[in-house]
Amino acid sequence: MLMICISLNAQTNDLLKAPEVDSIFSSKLTGEFFYESKQYIGSQFFNKEWTDGDILLSTGEMIHDKFLKYNGLLDELVWLNKYNYGKFKLDKSFVKEFWLKNVDGSNLHFIKINVSDTSKVSGQDIFVEVEVEGKLSLYIQRKITKQWPQDVLVDNVLYRYDFIEATPKYYIKLPSNEYLVMTKLRRLAFLRLFPEKKKAISKIIRENHLNIKIESDFVKVIELMNQEAVF
Amino acid sequence: MVSQLKKQLMMILLKRILFVFLIQQVALTFCNVDAQTRGSEIIYLQTDRTVYIAGESIYYKLYVLDAVTKKCSGMSKVGYIVLRAVNSAPTLKIRVKIDGGMANGSISLPDTLTSGVFQLVAFTGFMRNQGEEHFFHKELTIANRFDKALDFKLIKMTPKDSSQFQLTQLEPKTKTDKVVYGMREKVHVSVGKTNSKSNVSVTVFEESAIPSTYKSIIDVLKDSAVIQNRTQVLNYHSPETKAKLLRGTVIDSKTQRTIKDAIVLLSCIDSVPNLQYAVTNSKGLFQMLLSDYYNGKELFLTIKDAPENQKWQIKIEDEFALSKKWNPSLIAENENYKEFIVKSQNIVYINKSYQLNKEVNKKPTIEDHFICPEFYHCPVNTVFPSDFVALPNFLEIAVEILPQLRIIKEKGEYHAQMFNDFLREFDIHSPAFFLDGVYEDDINKIIELGSDQIKKIELIAAERAFGDLVFGGVISITSKSNEMINSKPSSYSLRLKNDKLNEGGNLVEVNPTTNQNQNIPFLKQLLYWNPNMELNGTDSTDFEFYTSDNLAKYSIKIEGISEDGTPISTGTSIQVTNQINITDK
Repeated sequence: MLMICISLNAQTNDLLKAPEVDSIFSSKLTGEFFYESKQYIGSQFFNKEWTDGDILLSTGEMIHDKFLKYNGLLDELVWLNKYNYGKFKLDKSFVKEFWLKNVDGSNLHFIKINVSDTSKVSGQDIFVEVEVEGKLSLYIQRKITKQWPQDVLVDNVLYRYDFIEATPKYYIKLPSNEYLVMTKLRRLAFLRLFPEKKKAISKIIRENHLNIKIESDFVKVIELMNQEAVF
Repeated sequence: MVSQLKKQLMMILLKRILFVFLIQQVALTFCNVDAQTRGSEIIYLQTDRTVYIAGESIYYKLYVLDAVTKKCSGMSKVGYIVLRAVNSAPTLKIRVKIDGGMANGSISLPDTLTSGVFQLVAFTGFMRNQGEEHFFHKELTIANRFDKALDFKLIKMTPKDSSQFQLTQLEPKTKTDKVVYGMREKVHVSVGKTNSKSNVSVTVFEESAIPSTYKSIIDVLKDSAVIQNRTQVLNYHSPETKAKLLRGTVIDSKTQRTIKDAIVLLSCIDSVPNLQYAVTNSKGLFQMLLSDYYNGKELFLTIKDAPENQKWQIKIEDEFALSKKWNPSLIAENENYKEFIVKSQNIVYINKSYQLNKEVNKKPTIEDHFICPEFYHCPVNTVFPSDFVALPNFLEIAVEILPQLRIIKEKGEYHAQMFNDFLREFDIHSPAFFLDGVYEDDINKIIELGSDQIKKIELIAAERAFGDLVFGGVISITSKSNEMINSKPSSYSLRLKNDKLNEGGNLVEVNPTTNQNQNIPFLKQLLYWNPNMELNGTDSTDFEFYTSDNLAKYSIKIEGISEDGTPISTGTSIQVTNQINITDK
């Protein structure tokens, strides 16, 4: 009897409960159809599989649970629409931040930053993965670049493919909001970026037995520099 | 012996069944009461007075309370107020923005209102689930300024109505420094402490004997205990937790059949192409969120890919609709009340003559942080036809200066295709056309526009996604003189004006001893109105106002709600006397 009452109560409550209408009324994602070029050897995506993710729009609105891939070759966020199976490059100016959930067991946070490019007069918006945020911040652009061309014979037809591979770019944001850029993780190159703090940084690396050539160790160095207030 | 035993057993069984049935009924009733009240709202509207002259403003304070906790509800953000005359359609429709369960402002009564009794109805969209009987109703008397006959009928009062507000018995106690005041004299009022912090609205107005079915916030909360009808929940209205919801249905006007899965597009005139869409459900119903962006704008609704051989139509629900007309019991005898109305008319006339009506202080406008639902957020190719030789129509423009666009004519109708740069061919999907920011469902409507009419053309030659919709490119035309206004909607399209939010102001306090010239009359029937007074639980709250040259008895009424959900309804009265009487003037 009680079960009947509880179930009836639950049903009535369902009718009166405010349904989750936010998803219906949230902003619509906008983008251009993504045609995936097959002329590459290697993957142009940072996350190989479609990953569940959330997007923070430039309007401040949050869009949840979309299938996403980050294309490192084009520096674009690609969305798979599960209703029409279309793949769309999202309008970059509309995306402020995004989160990729459970990529190799971890959740990754990307933000859009504006960095000046020597080849262009104005700054350029790029997506970077947030590794450390503090006085010193470390962002990694998960860049994928063309390496060298290779001719491949398929059905007696010679095709030219490009080898592509990950070439991450490291952006260190200083307290002055300026960015220092590293394309390769080298101890000397890193120390040269901070000539006045060279000794303190060397000490951190030495005492913690860190190898800057390893990305996780490099992240640790920046974290320790923040902790030990090197700046 | 056996039959007797059987009888006894049957009796025991029957008793047990009856007992179980009774318990079940009690439990079900409890569950239903609980379920029915959960998530529902109660609304209360306090006005500064109950008698007005057309042309005056009604100052109001709206409370939206949670039906269970009786505290201010944070759910609905939109409230609706309707003013209607006896047995007729609404005279005024007002949409207000509710913040933290409260709203206040003023409603300007048109000068042309005919004299009579009116009813104010206040509700939220979510309250439609509870039924119209749960809306707030309040009766007002409004007289036209030029009505000399004053032969309209008044509300017939029941003994219950007349005994509802007993000022002297109410808590917290309200005290004035005196009982009788002279003209232009400062009145000091002290309101006793409350159980917890409270928000109240205070009005000081001239008392009249004109009948009014006054309901205090305490009465309204008592009445709200009535259980609603369950069947009314079937047409569920979502709570307007962010902004107004536009509700409508797509039907086939030939068969009156509702259409499911129809895509309804909404946009409005703007410098940027904008779009919002909704898909109809199995009952043909759709809902759209009208953010502040749409306030006061004309809405252009259309159905995407409406079949040519069917007569699809968009029907919009009237958010102010009231199913039953108001038909109260009226009495013809208003001779005793004429004197008060004539006096009120004279005061309004004098104030207008001396231009003393600039009392409404416009509230600060609502922050413009609305978001335009832009159709794209990417770079576009922009073409200015004025940079080229003048061309007579859009067909010529497409041929001569828009190489990405191909317009073809089939069976007398024009169709457009956009060149896809990646595929190196024309796209099979039709591009999205926008004219002055509005989604245009038919290229044939813009084909006549030439270089003289078009200011700018923006193009995106790529397949575009807007949510789940896909378009074969974008062409956005900005005309020189808003050509969209003259565009004739298709049979499956609709144009409607979205009302503006009520942004009425509040009464400005005037100190007649400093600001007013002593030779200028200072006549007021509303001495004080404060829609947002904070009462605290630790000490009494004081406020001051000035009497005017209008000699009368005034009521001080305080209504509100405390943080713990306790309704507050209190007040007192004062007398203003002198040798001058306005009716003698």
